[in-house]
Amino acid sequence: MNRDDSAAPAVAARYFDGRTSRLHRVTLTVADGVAQVSGEAERSAPLAGLRVSERARHAARKVTFDDGAWLEIDDRAAFDRLLAATGHRDSHVVRTQQSWRGVLLALAVTVVVLAAAYLYLLPAAASWVAAALPVEAERQLGQGVLEFLDKKILAPTRLPVARQQQLQQQFAAMIAPEADAPTWTLVFRSSCIGPNAFALPSGDIVMTDQLVDLLKDDQAVMGVLAHELGHLHRRHLTRRMVQSSAVAAITWVVFGDISSLLTALPTVALDMKYSRDAEYEADDYAVAMLRRNGINPEHMAQSFIKLAKASGDHGPSYLASHPATDERIARIRAAR
Amino acid sequence: MIDLDKPATATPPQFLKFHATGSEYFRIWIVNLLLSIITLGIYSAWAKVRRNQYFYSSTELAGSSFAYHGNPIAILKGRIVAAVVVGAYALAGQFSPVFLGIMMLVMAAVVPWFIWRSLQFQLHNSAWRGIRFRFDGTLRAAYINCLLRPLLNLVTFGLATPYIHQRLKAWQFNESRFGQARFATRATVGNFYWLYAGFMAVLIAAGVVFGVLFAMQMASVAGRSPAEVAMRGMGVGAMLGGAAFYLLFLSMGPLFVALVQNLVWNHASLAQHQFRSHVIPARMFLIIFTNLIAVICTLGLFLPFAQVRLMRYRIEALQMIPDGSLDDFVAQTGADVGASGEGVSDFMDFDFSL
Repeated sequence: MNRDDSAAPAVAARYFDGRTSRLHRVTLTVADGVAQVSGEAERSAPLAGLRVSERARHAARKVTFDDGAWLEIDDRAAFDRLLAATGHRDSHVVRTQQSWRGVLLALAVTVVVLAAAYLYLLPAAASWVAAALPVEAERQLGQGVLEFLDKKILAPTRLPVARQQQLQQQFAAMIAPEADAPTWTLVFRSSCIGPNAFALPSGDIVMTDQLVDLLKDDQAVMGVLAHELGHLHRRHLTRRMVQSSAVAAITWVVFGDISSLLTALPTVALDMKYSRDAEYEADDYAVAMLRRNGINPEHMAQSFIKLAKASGDHGPSYLASHPATDERIARIRAAR
Repeated sequence: MIDLDKPATATPPQFLKFHATGSEYFRIWIVNLLLSIITLGIYSAWAKVRRNQYFYSSTELAGSSFAYHGNPIAILKGRIVAAVVVGAYALAGQFSPVFLGIMMLVMAAVVPWFIWRSLQFQLHNSAWRGIRFRFDGTLRAAYINCLLRPLLNLVTFGLATPYIHQRLKAWQFNESRFGQARFATRATVGNFYWLYAGFMAVLIAAGVVFGVLFAMQMASVAGRSPAEVAMRGMGVGAMLGGAAFYLLFLSMGPLFVALVQNLVWNHASLAQHQFRSHVIPARMFLIIFTNLIAVICTLGLFLPFAQVRLMRYRIEALQMIPDGSLDDFVAQTGADVGASGEGVSDFMDFDFSL
């Protein structure tokens, strides 16, 4: 290797002029803040007009001129000395990437940030969004869901009108455990998905005939309705929406590089905790509501037992998206 | 343009080389990930530039590496627009079918434009030996290839898919340039139908095997009551079978992409130069399958290693068979470059390079 007289060495490189793909073997030297290319091509340029690619152990290193011509460095060791002599410094990011200590620190901080976001930040942010979004807006957006379900999985109810009114009046007479309960509409439907009840963003609480028939206990029906009112009152629909989209977005950022299908697995697994938390919250709400109205929460525990038995016979049902029945029953009984 | 000073030299076949390593990319990846998370995704545009610069400059053809010139600000702008559209689409789905329908129409209208811009951006910002690539496809062709022709599947029940796919790939290739030289692929619609047919046959065979195993499992628990089965779960055998099925299912997409790579590149040319792609399906499948297991077992930490491993196999399977010297490519002159590249945003990570 030939060395220049000055402190900065001459660096063997290949020059591409940006006009043709022809390879020119050259040497690069720097004197007085000006880079000089000599050999099969001649060129000089002030250092300020040059861009040096970032350091990486296995990647080629380039110096790019402002017109798109570039040098590809052959002698990397000499180039490092040249950069040092000209006072070039790697950016903070590159230095972190090139040091194992920096990388381990980044890994630790990433894990801590992700865990904190998952456990605290995201639930708090979801509550904040739910509080900021007026109930009316949520209901407006929820228009059309019931019509859609009516077309797909729901059929008109076969419960007698008197029976519907009786359940409706009984639930309307109950006092919510917290102030400012949202308005609701009780909707009866027959379904092909078995005994089920769910609340929609529009404020409709859908109750299937199959559930009423299965429970055979109006106070247990009140428990189920109180649970659904809990979802509405605590704004679970908006909160769950924020949570699940954030989880999907973050898993996409982390795992999306390799396979978008693979991201489905962690997304579902991570979202499960939020789903469970919402169910527990609604259960607690229902227990409080039953108690306040002088109904023994045991009615609700019994309804879970009946539903668990029914789901054993009929495949997926109301409980499929919910926490383990035993745990919920234990929780309800413990709340006494 | 032939350089008259020296005779055109014959160049031997050149395999692409990929020098990136998993451990080095892991370090780039984790720092990128942390910065992207704490900046709420804003840094992800810079992360993409860093990642691409590393991968491009680690890829070598005939002794010279590639370069990535993407501008992070342009990427960020594109990502914000894409995030707004995709986010609105996702939210619409949560709330109401009416909004969902509207958003689906909006998506259908903008996605071809996104793809077109992304192809321009990606190629314009890729270079080798100082010469940039370029995409010359028109917006009109983008709408035909990415929106109108796929609508054929509505009336053909998916049977037109190989045809649609072939037209899309041919469009991408035939409108790509390296300097003034044109890319082309001669892979025909017939080639694509054969590829799809072969792949479907393998899928059906795999489906039958799993179906038989599942039926045997069902038969073994048939005597017990449903509650008992539910209590005991489906047994370890069925659990492993389910996991294997899921992994197989996940492996199919990347495997198919690699087979399309073979098909398209084995028929590809750049000016008078030819290409070959030597991806071996069984080898490719093994890499994807073991990658998935390793990623799951390490809770994602193996991800950068897996990515480099997969990229290395796919890139090093590519071979260029030059006809004459590789010194004679000429850059596109001034004005045309600006028209097709500068100021364009990148909306999606639309993987064209392979």
